[in-house]
Order: sequence, then C-alpha cells, then structure tokens
Amino acid sequence: MDLAKLRQDAAALLADGRAGLVIGFRERAGACVPAFVTDADQADALVYDDTCIANLAAYLRKPEIRQRRPVALVARPHVMRSLILLKAEHQLQGDDVLVLAVGDDTYHGVLTLAEAERLLNETYADLATDAQVLAEIERLEQMSPEERARFWSEQFAKCTRCYACRAACPMCYCERCIVEKNVPQWISTAAAGHGNYAWNVIRAFHLAGRCIECGACEAACPQGIPLMLLNALLAREARDQFDARPGYDAEAEPVVGSWNKDDDEGFIR
Amino acid sequence: MKILDASKLSDLADTLAGAGYRVVVPVQDGDRVRYAEWSPGATIRTDAFPVNSAKDFLFPRSEVIDRYQLDGDDFTPLEVRPPAPRTVLLAVRPCDAASLAMLDTIFNWDYEDDLYNARRAATTVVPLVCTRADAQCFCTSVGGAPDSSAGADALLHPADGGSRLILEPLTDKGKALVEAAGGALADGKAAPDAPADVPARFDPDKVRAWLADNFEADLWDLLSYACLGCGACAYACPTCHCFDMQDEATRTESVRLRNWDSCGFALFTKHAGGHNPRPDQAARWRNRVMHKFSYIPERFDLVGCTGCGRCARLCPAGMAMLEACTRIEEEARKAPAHES
Amino acid sequence: MTQTSTKPDAATGADAAAQPWSPRIVAFVCNWCTYAGADLAGTSRLQYAPNVRIIKLPCTGRIDPLFILKAFEQGADAVLVSGCHPGDCHYTAGNYHARRRWGLFRRLMEFTGIDAKRLFFSWVSAAEGQKFADLINAVTDEVRQAGPFDPTNPARKRPWT
Ligand code: SF4
Ligand code: SF4
Ligand code: SF4
Ligand code: FES
Repeated sequence: MDLAKLRQDAAALLADGRAGLVIGFRERAGACVPAFVTDADQADALVYDDTCIANLAAYLRKPEIRQRRPVALVARPHVMRSLILLKAEHQLQGDDVLVLAVGDDTYHGVLTLAEAERLLNETYADLATDAQVLAEIERLEQMSPEERARFWSEQFAKCTRCYACRAACPMCYCERCIVEKNVPQWISTAAAGHGNYAWNVIRAFHLAGRCIECGACEAACPQGIPLMLLNALLAREARDQFDARPGYDAEAEPVVGSWNKDDDEGFIR
Repeated sequence: MKILDASKLSDLADTLAGAGYRVVVPVQDGDRVRYAEWSPGATIRTDAFPVNSAKDFLFPRSEVIDRYQLDGDDFTPLEVRPPAPRTVLLAVRPCDAASLAMLDTIFNWDYEDDLYNARRAATTVVPLVCTRADAQCFCTSVGGAPDSSAGADALLHPADGGSRLILEPLTDKGKALVEAAGGALADGKAAPDAPADVPARFDPDKVRAWLADNFEADLWDLLSYACLGCGACAYACPTCHCFDMQDEATRTESVRLRNWDSCGFALFTKHAGGHNPRPDQAARWRNRVMHKFSYIPERFDLVGCTGCGRCARLCPAGMAMLEACTRIEEEARKAPAHES
Repeated sequence: MTQTSTKPDAATGADAAAQPWSPRIVAFVCNWCTYAGADLAGTSRLQYAPNVRIIKLPCTGRIDPLFILKAFEQGADAVLVSGCHPGDCHYTAGNYHARRRWGLFRRLMEFTGIDAKRLFFSWVSAAEGQKFADLINAVTDEVRQAGPFDPTNPARKRPWT
C-alpha cells in the first residue's frame, strides 16, 4: 500500500484547507491507535495496516470533531459503508467528509462520499461476513434453545456495562441511548442477569439492518463478548429476508422503518 | 523460607480453597485473562495482564445496598447484608495491591462504607512480583514498583529463573494464609529473580504542578480527541471508585443498587435541566487526569493512579494515562509553572 | 406487566409451589382489531383459556421489542403479539412495519435462547371473535406442552441477591 501517498494527500488536504482535521492511525508501542492530525507537518505520523480496525466514522458524532468539518478519514471499505449509511440516515452531508480510501493493500486516494460509494459498488460490492463468525453462528444454531441460553448467559455475565461497544459503533449515535432512559426504566442498570441480557439484545436489535459488520464493537469490548455473532445473525436475516445491503446506497431507505407488501409472514397466524 | 514450584500455583489455590478461602486468581477465560474465583481445572495465567482489577472483589460492579418490600401501602425495609467471604487475592499484580490504599481511603473518608469494609477485612492480599512488564506499565512513575509490598499481606517472589515461587508472609493475615497453605508449601531455599525493569517515565509532582495552573489549557482538546466516552478505562481501573445509585422497583419490591459509573460518560454530570458543566469529552477526560493526579494527591497525599496501564491496554480508542502524563510533563518543561 | 396476577411474587414465580403451574401468557394487541376481536369473543360468550393477560396498544406499530423482553423478564411463559390484518391497519402501515421488526426480532430471540415455541404472532380482525378464542386455546395448549419458562434463562429476572 502506498503509505507515502496517503501521508502526502493528508498533508495537502490540511495545507490547502480542504480538510480541517485528518483522522487516521498512528503507531504507539507496537499498536495501532487513532491519530488526529491538524497540521500538514504531522501527517508523516500516519500509518496503516490491517490491525487498524477501529471504525473512525464513530468520531463524526463528537461535536468537537464536527466543528472541524470537513474532516478527512482513513477508511477501509467497511468504514466507507458506515459513512454512506450515515448519509442515508441523514447524519452526514455529502461534503462533511472526505475519504482517504484504503482497501485490499491498495490506497485509492482521496475520495468524496459519492466517489467512495461508487468505489464500494464497483470494487467491494460483496463484503462477506467473516467465515469464522458464520461458522460459530451455525454451531450455535445447532444447539437446543437451553444450550444457547446457557451460552449467552455465560457471555452476558461478563458484561460490565461499560458501553464501549456502543461508543465504538458509528451507527450508535443516539443522543440518549434507550439503556439510559429511566422513565420508565426499560433495561435494568445492574451489570448482571436480565439487565445485561436486555442491554445486549437491544443494542444488537437497534442495529438490525444497520450494522455494516465492521467489527469495531466486538474489538472494543474489554470482556471479549462475541458481539459479532448477534450483529452478523441480524445482518444475515436482514439480507435474506429483506435484501438489506446497508451502506451501499446513500439514498436507500432504512430496512427497519420501511416495508414491502410481500414481506414474509409465514410465521404469523 | 516457604517455597513452591511455580507450576504448582494451582495446587496452592486448591489447598486454600479447601481451607475455606474464596481464592481469586488470574485465569484464562476465552481469549482473555481475568481475575476470577478459582475453580478446579481453571488455568492460572500470571504472564498476561488481566482485563479486570482486584477491586471487583471488594467493590463489585453492581450491588444491592438497600431493599424494601411493598404490599399495597405497607412498606417493609429488608436487611441487606451481602456475604463477606474470607478471600485471598492470590498472584494479583503489585499495582492491584497498591490500589487498595486508595480504595481504603475513599471508602472511609467521610462515610464509613460497611459493605466495602466487611469485604476488605476478610481479604488477604498476596501479590506476585512482576518479572516482566510491558510498554504500558508505569508503576515506578507513580511511587510503585514491580516488587512493591504496598498493600500486601504476603508476597510471592518468582525464583530460580521462574521455576519456583517464594511466599513471604508480611502481616498476621499473611501468616495465617501460610499456615492454611500447609503442605502446598515446602521449606527450602530459592534465589529470587530480579523484578522487571520499569523505567520511571514522568514525575507526578511535575504533572500535578502543571495541572494546578492549566485547567483551561488548549492541550486538553488535543489530548482527548480520541476519547469516545465509554467506561472501559474507569471500569478496568483499580482505583476508580465512582458509583451511581439507581432504584429499581416492581409493584412488590424495590431495591437500591450501587452501580459503577464513569466520569467519561456524558451523563455523569448532566443536570436534569439539560445543562452539562462538563460539556465535551475534553472536560470529561481532564477530570479523569485531574482527579488522579491533582485532587486525590491534594486531599489524601496519594497518587490516584497505580500505573497499571490497564486503561491504555483496554481503551478502544487508544487513550493512555501514561501518554497523557508524559505529554503534560513535556508541556510543563516548555512553560515552567510559577513558583508560588 | 403482572397486573392481573393475584400473588405478590408473580414475577419470581414464588407462588408456583402453591398451585399447579398453568401457562402465563402476555398478549400485546392493537386497539382496533385484535382487542376488538377479543371483545367480540367476550360478548359472544365464547369460551377460551384464561391464561392470557391482554395489554392493549394503539397499533402493532407501537409494540416495541422491549415489551416482549419485559414480559419474559417479569414472568411470562410466552408472548403473543397480534394486530390488524395487512391492509387493515388503522394507521395504514403500522402492521407492515411491525411485521418486519418481528421477522428479525424473533430470530434474535431464538438465537439468544428463547425458544420460538414461546413467541406467537397473529392477525385477528374485529370480526374474528371465533379466531381469537381458537387462537388463545391453541397458544395455551402449545405453551402447556412447552412447560414453564426456564427461571435460569438469562432473559428472566431472578431474585436480587
Ligand atoms: S454494531 Fe459493531 S460491527 Fe456493526 S456497525 Fe456497529 S461497531 Fe460495526
Ligand atoms: S463493551 Fe462489552 S462489557 Fe462493555 S457494555 Fe458492551 S458488551 Fe458490555
Ligand atoms: S488510570 Fe489507568 S494506569 Fe492508572 S491505575 Fe487507572 S487503569 Fe491503571
Ligand atoms: S391499528 Fe391494528 S395494527 Fe395498526
């Protein structure tokens, strides 16, 4: 990948005022962490490799970041999908963001959102769910409901309700999350039992048809809870039942929130 | 000298569990290592940093602190006395043991917290000297050390090139534990291994001096751009102790819960009327640094951070206390604080 | 959620020892069709199982998945969700929206360990008093077959410790 070109582009965007901030990655003690570059001469700190999995689109919800629009983001194909979906959900204007597009060992240059949308559809139209995640979903589906309940009971028991999963997800942009609404209190605040179940199930469900499977939530979870199983299951169902392809069309209607006369109702008596 | 084979740590855990201790050890759990209650067959991992801290066993993430029964208009308070089992924190990190000074102080500051104190009194602390540290460890910058005995009732030293462990009792609780360990320990001799080399990275006094003058510094914006406002750091931190109280009621029963909370959340300071005195993440992250390196030192003559580095290891956004402090010290060097 | 239960500890099932178990089913129904259908079943004096607690909402579009979770949390053995037939929703499309949500949500429920045998969906119009009575009888029978909801299921609230 042409890292030198990426750095050059980032520096140029800042130098000529086309971007007020470049968000990318830098190396710190052997790990890849988000970098916030405001001056052209710091652009050389930018790095990129496939350990850089944070979804930087999550930063676009921070007011102090939005203030610096237009913002240029280092984005892999999944992250580009987040951006397209944010636009489809009216959270972004077309000219709020520029994309420093990376993917498949290639640096694709600086793209507008419209260009990123085209690139996605031409080159990355079939981003498949991680095979390991799919295999694990199928393994769980073979179990009895009781076994599945036990599996999730053990997983959710680890949840501390730190909400890192929510914070890391670009699509979790609600000003006040349902889990924090307490009049009435829908989801128990205790980091245990039924509250943890409801929290994790509702978090996943609020992303049904919206999760673009970047994996940032699971990577963020300090407790190692396999959140992608929930997200990928719903992504699969949204795809199979309603042809959902979130993040490929900035004009698309939301999957949950729209409907079709012919939607399946085999399960309704 | 009491010694055991390093590979026999699980036998020690077994013996102590048999002697009636709730044994808390770092164990493998999926792809993580965490402090958890020992159960036979678990794999003890002392070579990786646990994702939780020892505070989980003294100040649990959620607990019922009050309880009522309701029957129409009848209201009956119920007694809440959570169990305080005899516990040993075995092979925890010295920075975890050091954090107890902070927790002991805060839970007995203006209010004596019976729930915490009961658990604390029943706890024996046996840290394991670190012979390896990683890039996020900075205990030596905040008054700790990889072989520190602060907060310890007994100390485990790796010895003979990692093949043995020496168990050195330091307090009465530690002696009682050695007794309970009985045959799991042998009398013998072993040569303690050198503790990890953890170079000091900054001076907390300099950081504190800079903080005193720089509540409004522009640096806060820069330092906190990456912060996403979750609770991962605070919940992993051995010294963070903030909690939120929530009442949860049905028609027949009500409980008052004490849940962990974090100053990183926007809701932490948000008023009912909508105003938020810490309006952005810069203000929230500044509080995290200020609390640990200015307010706590001022009030209690302690540093509110033990340099464990957990926050940096677990932060999904790459925030790090070590990096913030070294950056602040750099800044302090550029513009020395006024003598007062 | 437990307003029709007689014993204080309905949520925790503490009354289970007192009487033989009988299914506790929560039905979330829309005001205009299924509730009217239930009314018709009542005024027509149709006999049906007494195991369903009906909670009336304006429209199936208002039935948040959280309601379903809450019901299981607070002691339901099964949940029934019902509203107007497609095309009949009094708000035009509430039921079409709901249908999509259910199609996804029931998969998530199953996947996290709530047996699909405990989640029922139906369309019952204001004129279908008989369908309502038959439905309730069938659902009650099926839940009786399935047995009580496992009190250790992670969705169920357990007594505070
Ligand atoms: S739910 Fe997880 S995988 Fe899906 S978009 Fe959000 S962070 Fe990415
Ligand atoms: S990141 Fe993990 S531990 Fe934190 S709230 Fe989400 S699922 Fe729970
Ligand atoms: S602030 Fe970070 S390094 Fe300091 S004690 Fe807390 S988790 Fe450890
Ligand atoms: S009014 Fe009955 S489903 Fe909308």
